[in-house]
Amino acid sequence: MGAGEGGLTVEAATSEPAVAPRRRRRRRLATPALLGLPVSWLAVFFLAPIAIVAAYSVDVLVLFPGPHGFTISAWRSLFSSSNPYLHLFAKSVEMSLIVSAVVVVVAYPLAYFLALSGTKRKYILLLILIAPFLTSYLLRVLAWKVILGDEGVINTFLFSTGLRSPDHPLSFLLYSRFAVMLVLGYVWLPFVALPIFVTLETLDQGLLEAASDLYASRLQAFVRVTLPLSAPGLVAAFLFVFIPTVGEFITPSLVGGTGGYMYGNQIVDLFGTGFPDWETGSVLALFLLAVIAVLTLVFVRFLRTGEAQAA
Amino acid sequence: MEGETFDRRLSRADMLRLAGLAAGVGVVAGPAAAADAAVARLTQESGRLQVMDWPGYGNDGGQAMFKAYVHKYPHNKPQFTQMTNESNALTQIQAGAHPDLFRPYVGWVKYFAQSGLVQPWNPKLIPNFKHLNPFMVKAGQYKGKQYGIPDDWGFDAILYRKDKVHPKARSWGLLFDERYKGKIAWFDDLEMITIAGLYLKAKNPWNQTQAELNRSVNFLKKKKHLVKFNWSSETELWQAFGSGEVWIAYAWPNDWVTMKKKHPVVYMHPKEKPIAWVGMFMLLKGTPRPHLSHAYVNAWSAKASGQWLENNYGYGHANVEAKPSSSALLKALQLTNPKAVTLPNAYLDRNIPNRATYAHLWEQVKAA
Repeated sequence: MGAGEGGLTVEAATSEPAVAPRRRRRRRLATPALLGLPVSWLAVFFLAPIAIVAAYSVDVLVLFPGPHGFTISAWRSLFSSSNPYLHLFAKSVEMSLIVSAVVVVVAYPLAYFLALSGTKRKYILLLILIAPFLTSYLLRVLAWKVILGDEGVINTFLFSTGLRSPDHPLSFLLYSRFAVMLVLGYVWLPFVALPIFVTLETLDQGLLEAASDLYASRLQAFVRVTLPLSAPGLVAAFLFVFIPTVGEFITPSLVGGTGGYMYGNQIVDLFGTGFPDWETGSVLALFLLAVIAVLTLVFVRFLRTGEAQAA
Repeated sequence: MEGETFDRRLSRADMLRLAGLAAGVGVVAGPAAAADAAVARLTQESGRLQVMDWPGYGNDGGQAMFKAYVHKYPHNKPQFTQMTNESNALTQIQAGAHPDLFRPYVGWVKYFAQSGLVQPWNPKLIPNFKHLNPFMVKAGQYKGKQYGIPDDWGFDAILYRKDKVHPKARSWGLLFDERYKGKIAWFDDLEMITIAGLYLKAKNPWNQTQAELNRSVNFLKKKKHLVKFNWSSETELWQAFGSGEVWIAYAWPNDWVTMKKKHPVVYMHPKEKPIAWVGMFMLLKGTPRPHLSHAYVNAWSAKASGQWLENNYGYGHANVEAKPSSSALLKALQLTNPKAVTLPNAYLDRNIPNRATYAHLWEQVKAA
């Protein structure tokens, strides 16, 4: 070993303790630096607004100046038997469940074809599937008014083919619960197809080959291999639709009429359209948030249990 | 003293200069113009005038109403925020919006005057004030002060397709007629409870007893299945009425003017009497642009603006000199009758003492 080498070794050895604390400091700073912005964002734009809404719900904050104090009367009134808001909530949940379930069922074969058919054009087809997102959400919803109206595309077709008299158009198509569910289904279909597609595409093809080698029919392979392994994607897709649609208010206000009025519309009306009642509006908003949070936790739990069993 | 905020902004020296300038210029150009010019210069009100108004009355169609103002104050053009109804305006203001002026209707004058959010106008700063209908001017007063400057007026009544609908009587009952299930549109407002009260002969539909309220609300809940939708914007109503989705609707005169271009329609005044309304400009307390606000309202109050409104929107105007070019409209709106908005012709909309209760019940009707 030459002197020079020895010198270098000694130098490296002596500089090591000096570098280590710097690295450790950098590492210590890296986590807060990376998480700082998103956490601050969440704190300012998510947690703080929820805290403000919570304060309105118990009358600690009020819209109108005057004497006020902590009270849970609006919360108590929400759970009273005469209160119609819980019935409206149940109706909205029911509509959202139907939309989510139907859309998942419709999207699954679509995603299955795209992911497993082996076609080279699958990404082009996927692009076509999400093409409607290139236009405004409002425009897409309003376009349905043109399609579903009494003088819309469907009714005009029925008149021209003699299947329906112009005096008796299919009136349930627009301003109804059906219209809301149809439009919501259309709007959210690509959102559902994407997570299912991703799950199916990452599926280990070797498992399907193994099932085939073990004389499983295609149906058996699907039921015992593909479907259980794509369950996480299915649940994620279901949640992708269910969570936003249960509090939806734009679509029902445009195509819902009195029959398609949803829980989200009620919250909007209490906050601004009708005579302001921010206390009740806040209670309804927080109740929705709480129910969605609980449901999400349940689904995630179910998902983890499923994953553990599959492993 | 309440309501004199903007007067106090002028110092004594300003007032003297104002008077001197007004007198000097007045010799040449007339007293009104001089006062306007002097006021604008001396008060040094800056920025764009902030106006909160209903859709269709700002730069989205109503420009003719304030053209004179824009011509006179090109550097203080109005900037609009929309109010979908008075409740919505109240929410926006309470939540921190600061328009210089806004435009609720007559039934809300007392509420806003009592709320402390507004201040009275100074009619002396509105040269066209003397041409306004005295009855409507009085309706804008609270405790002797002019909190509301009347502008447009009209009726809440029923619009129906005469080729499709055959009413049994001239009555509000047409909005609840089982024969036309799915072809009816109500108005998305607590006023529906007042209308139900009128139809069910409540003693005072604007201040119903608990028993009367229960009856009205239960009646509305029972009849809700007949309704296609509750409209909250006129364009929504026009689209549905125009395309035949609804044949019967709670409507305003403008809806009649618009819809008669598409369908044979009747604007029915029910035997229980329509509800008349008068738009009232109200001045926000503490506004930094009080004189510009007065100038804006003066432009709205002009005869030319009134005529434009009548001809294009089918509403009446508080300026008694404004007359529409159509004699049919003149007759339909009874524009020659200075008391068309009150009995025996109609009920002038009024304050609802239990407004929060009415609103709560209307929300329950919708949620039911």
